[in-house]
Amino acid sequence: MAQPGFVPPDSNDFIFKPIFGSSIFMTKPALMIFFSVILIVVFFTISARKAAVVPSRLQFAGESVYGFVRTTIGQDVIGPEFERFTPFLFAIFTFVLTNNLFGVIPFMQFPTMSRIGFPVSITIFVYLVYHYVAIKKKGLGRYLKEMCFMPGVPKPIYIILAPVEFLTYFAVRPLTLAMRLFGNMFAGHLLLLLFTLGGEYMLKSALFVKFFSVLSFGMAIGLSFFEMGIECLQAYIFTLLAALYIAGALADEH
Amino acid sequence: MATTDDGAFWTIIAYLIAGLGFWGGMGFLADHFLKTNFLTVLGMFLGMATGLYLIWIRFIKESPK
Repeated sequence: MAQPGFVPPDSNDFIFKPIFGSSIFMTKPALMIFFSVILIVVFFTISARKAAVVPSRLQFAGESVYGFVRTTIGQDVIGPEFERFTPFLFAIFTFVLTNNLFGVIPFMQFPTMSRIGFPVSITIFVYLVYHYVAIKKKGLGRYLKEMCFMPGVPKPIYIILAPVEFLTYFAVRPLTLAMRLFGNMFAGHLLLLLFTLGGEYMLKSALFVKFFSVLSFGMAIGLSFFEMGIECLQAYIFTLLAALYIAGALADEH
Repeated sequence: MATTDDGAFWTIIAYLIAGLGFWGGMGFLADHFLKTNFLTVLGMFLGMATGLYLIWIRFIKESPK
């Protein structure tokens, strides 16, 4: 496949020019973020407005998403105190899901979460929430003590264990949370770009090569459906882990 | 349940990274200042062992109901 002239997609394909003037806040991903918020608000307002005992199709769709987050993620993971975190989890889930799915919707075709700034900003919220919840419930001293010193370990070993536990809570958790979402969306979009651009390039080449562009485009379409699955899964995992961290903050001990 | 299994998976990953990162990093710093060359590896072994030990405590010793 070493053809001269084919330019493989790289991270520069993720940088967009400003739409209006030269403001870096008015790029395609930034507009898509605003659009996703409008989309979510409109959809759930309409689906809940004419709420009836026998739900319409739209109401059913809205309620099943809400019920999924509330029961499967909230209730099962957090436990008895889950009700006050349901709005938070629901907001995260719908926001991430919508922005991920933009990656396969025609004419948008860019998962917003493949720009690292967006996952990082959601992660900051999750980070603040789970530390705040824990400190409010236990107080800072007890929180750190329970975090770093697991019961039932010989005392000298704490010197080795405590820093690792501390680092897990304060650095590795938020880092993996943001990087996982970003990495999955980035890689998935790059893969789709590769097969689409490759197919396009082959279509412009010699006659014999043209036949193979069908394979490349076929791959791109197949992978689009695959990506759709990944995008839903990542939104789920992100919310699930946020719930798990909150559950860990609320738990009395390990 | 599937949900707790997913959570366990990422908790385990986090412990392994934190252990390896912290004690490997400590070893690297020690190497740098003491002008030796074996402490990074030792630190990484220690970190790996720490991560595995924490996983063992969290998931096997205190086996959840």
